[in-house]
Amino acid sequence: MFETTYPQLIGLCTGTLLLTSALMVWRHSMLASIRLLAVQGFALAALVAVIGVQKGEVEVILVAVLVLLVKGLGLPWVLAHESKATTRTDEAPRLNPTASLLTVALLTILAYVVSSRVLARDTSISAHAAPIGLAMVLIGFLLLVTRRQARSQLIGFLVLDNGIATVAFLTSGGVPLVLELGISLDVLLVVMILYVFAGRMHNKFGNTDIDQLRKLHD
Amino acid sequence: MNAVQSGLVVQALLALAAVATGLLLPIAWRSRVTGALCALLGVAGIVTGAAALGGTTGALTIPLALPIDPLVLSPDRLGGLFMIVVSAVGALVSLFGIGSARGAEASRTSWAAMAVFLCGMQLVPAATDVVSFLLLWEIMTLGSTVLLLADHATRSTVFSAAIWYSAMSQLSFFFVLAGFGVLVAATGGTGFQTLATVPADSLPANLAFVLLLLGFGGKAELVPLHVWVPRVLPEAPSHVAAAMSGAMVKIGVYGALLVCVRLLPSGPPWWGVLILVLGGVSAVYGILQASVASDLKVLLAYSTTENMGLVFLGLGASVLLRSYHATAAADAALVAALLLMVSHAAFKTTLFLGAGAVHHATGELNLDRLGGLGKRMPWTAGTFGLASLGAASLPITSGFVAEWMLLQSLIHGARLDGEVVSVAASIAMPLAVAVLALTAGLALLTFVKAYGIAFLARPRSRKASIAREVPWVMRVPLVLGALAVVGLGLVPGPLAAGIAAVVGPGIVPDVHTVGLAGVSFAGIDAVLDPSTLVILAGLVLVPILVIVALGARRHPTRVDPLPWAGGGSRLRPRMQYTATSYAEPLVRVFDDVLRPSRDVEVTHVGESRYLVEKVHVEQTVSDVIETRLYRPVLNAAQRFGLVARRAQDGSIHRYLGYSFAALLIVLIAVSL
Repeated sequence: MFETTYPQLIGLCTGTLLLTSALMVWRHSMLASIRLLAVQGFALAALVAVIGVQKGEVEVILVAVLVLLVKGLGLPWVLAHESKATTRTDEAPRLNPTASLLTVALLTILAYVVSSRVLARDTSISAHAAPIGLAMVLIGFLLLVTRRQARSQLIGFLVLDNGIATVAFLTSGGVPLVLELGISLDVLLVVMILYVFAGRMHNKFGNTDIDQLRKLHD
Repeated sequence: MNAVQSGLVVQALLALAAVATGLLLPIAWRSRVTGALCALLGVAGIVTGAAALGGTTGALTIPLALPIDPLVLSPDRLGGLFMIVVSAVGALVSLFGIGSARGAEASRTSWAAMAVFLCGMQLVPAATDVVSFLLLWEIMTLGSTVLLLADHATRSTVFSAAIWYSAMSQLSFFFVLAGFGVLVAATGGTGFQTLATVPADSLPANLAFVLLLLGFGGKAELVPLHVWVPRVLPEAPSHVAAAMSGAMVKIGVYGALLVCVRLLPSGPPWWGVLILVLGGVSAVYGILQASVASDLKVLLAYSTTENMGLVFLGLGASVLLRSYHATAAADAALVAALLLMVSHAAFKTTLFLGAGAVHHATGELNLDRLGGLGKRMPWTAGTFGLASLGAASLPITSGFVAEWMLLQSLIHGARLDGEVVSVAASIAMPLAVAVLALTAGLALLTFVKAYGIAFLARPRSRKASIAREVPWVMRVPLVLGALAVVGLGLVPGPLAAGIAAVVGPGIVPDVHTVGLAGVSFAGIDAVLDPSTLVILAGLVLVPILVIVALGARRHPTRVDPLPWAGGGSRLRPRMQYTATSYAEPLVRVFDDVLRPSRDVEVTHVGESRYLVEKVHVEQTVSDVIETRLYRPVLNAAQRFGLVARRAQDGSIHRYLGYSFAALLIVLIAVSL
């Protein structure tokens, strides 16, 4: 029974991941992005849980719970909380939505092409879905490059991080709990520091547009 | 543990102790204790070098954590000779530094850097593999750069000098590294013995030779890599400048000898021609610039270029003649080059220290504002005078012996047993003789100017008129240096025999000591015995002098005050020759080479066209090679920098974009 639904569940989870990433490129509102990030966190946790059930390892299930807590609930809550505390400026990205979505499509194709070379020998179902993770990394990078506000760039950074986690889970069949604990805490810490920085920037300059940081070079 | 091994260890320990005292002691004791330790470091170097020169071999092996062969320090005879020369100069300048270093020159950093610099320099000739050689070479360069920066707070020109020095040092280092890299790739080992197995006529050998020659030539101040010299040496503290000019450039010569004698001993003739051309151009260009310089240290700096040019001239002649199997003449040229190297260390150190003493006493180095120091600073004047004789290659000094031998080997070099060696040699040798003759003449002029304008006649400024002799701790190194100049000049035999042993068994068997302490080369029928000459000259001169003195007593000189002395009765300092006016005829003769820029400004009295109120004359001689060769390159680099700056405008988005593009390119490259 589970053996037949397993590929479909993997497909569903990774599909949700890719869809939320693409939607994040499309939507400019900060709050919408945070909600999408939460959904992405849930999907990632579900993906880990599916892998865990298929392998029958309790440790991987625990990792799934950890991912759910940090990426599905913790990070979005921190982001939303901070965003409400300050003003809600919407993003005016450097690339219009149509062009962005086309780029996302191209990046996804590139991810598949690259992965077909790199993972050619691995024929497992989870490895088959790995290009999604790579595509998420690229989309996260695209968000970093095109967004003006420091906070939206943070979203891009988290998408990138989710992408790396996805690739790791799909290709290695789950990472040890201790490792995931370390990574999660790292990401949480980075996000908090960056948020404090963004808050400082906002207080100092009135917005968090990083184009204004030009004069910091020598 | 034998003498060489313990000597190397003692040098390292003394350097560490000097660094520690330099960093820890308060200002009152720092110069004395650290300077004394640095001088001891020099003495340890002399003893180690002497042991190595005497044939003792001992190796100090330093294992590394890196996956390469351990560093092995083991000076051979050639290394021993250079270690002695470099250490002796180091000991003298350290002693001098105790007295002369003031203010920032006596700071913690400066004294610690001094110890590091001297230690690195003394150990370079001990290296037996590429890694330790380059490591010690860089330690030496870094130490000297820090020393150069001592006065950066008070003089803005120091920064520009330091940048030039760093850039040119790195250029030299790049050439040396590339040259060694080629040899290592060709032979598969980093030890010098392994490198020497490369066949001399192969492409790697030719490539490595050119690269290494350029690299070591840059350190030895050869044209066109000399541009740092006239900037750096005047800006460095005097004792540091003496160490750089007297010792550090010798390491460049050592490198060149390492290549030509040890690593690639049997090169094709064009190697010799290349060295000859580099040396000849450097000699003539250096002495021309020196002869028109009016800053004492700039003059000495360019004179170093000239002397190193002559050393390379001898080396080039040796390589060229050896490639035609004219062994005796080749050996003679090599010995002459080494003699010149040793004598240059002696007289140039003394000259730079003398310039330092002048600067210490007057605060001036511009010859046009000096004068009359002979009476006020007799010790400095005497020693500077003897060293000037050496620099002008006049008899009773080591400079004379060295240049005479070089001349002999060049004159006799083109013929082997009465037969013409080759067409190339018979063209190159007479040209080299001409270069040597022109250089010697101009050197005489230059040092007559340096000594005469600075020490004779009347003071040209108030500072010069109130100068006082320097303290004894600065006089001792001056006297020792001058004694070395005269000693090596009167008794060259033992040194020449030692040098003949240095360049190895199989090479130079034909140097003999003759007469009191003279030298003879069996192969080329050249004999020199300066001590006997001096005694003979004394025997002839003393009776003449006695007769003249007796004659003078019989007819006391009459003093007739002239009614109108042609303006000579009221001499003023401004009426004297200055350094600039003394060199004026020379500047006119070599106008096309030197390209001086003159600015004459005449202020007339009122409306009159004929009455002149004052004339302001300004003449600057710039370095033609710098303005013609380096300036265009620097301008191009600057333009490129401005364009490249647009790609680096500080926008974080742009930097992120670069990273993203790089990532995509890598991914696409992987997928192709």
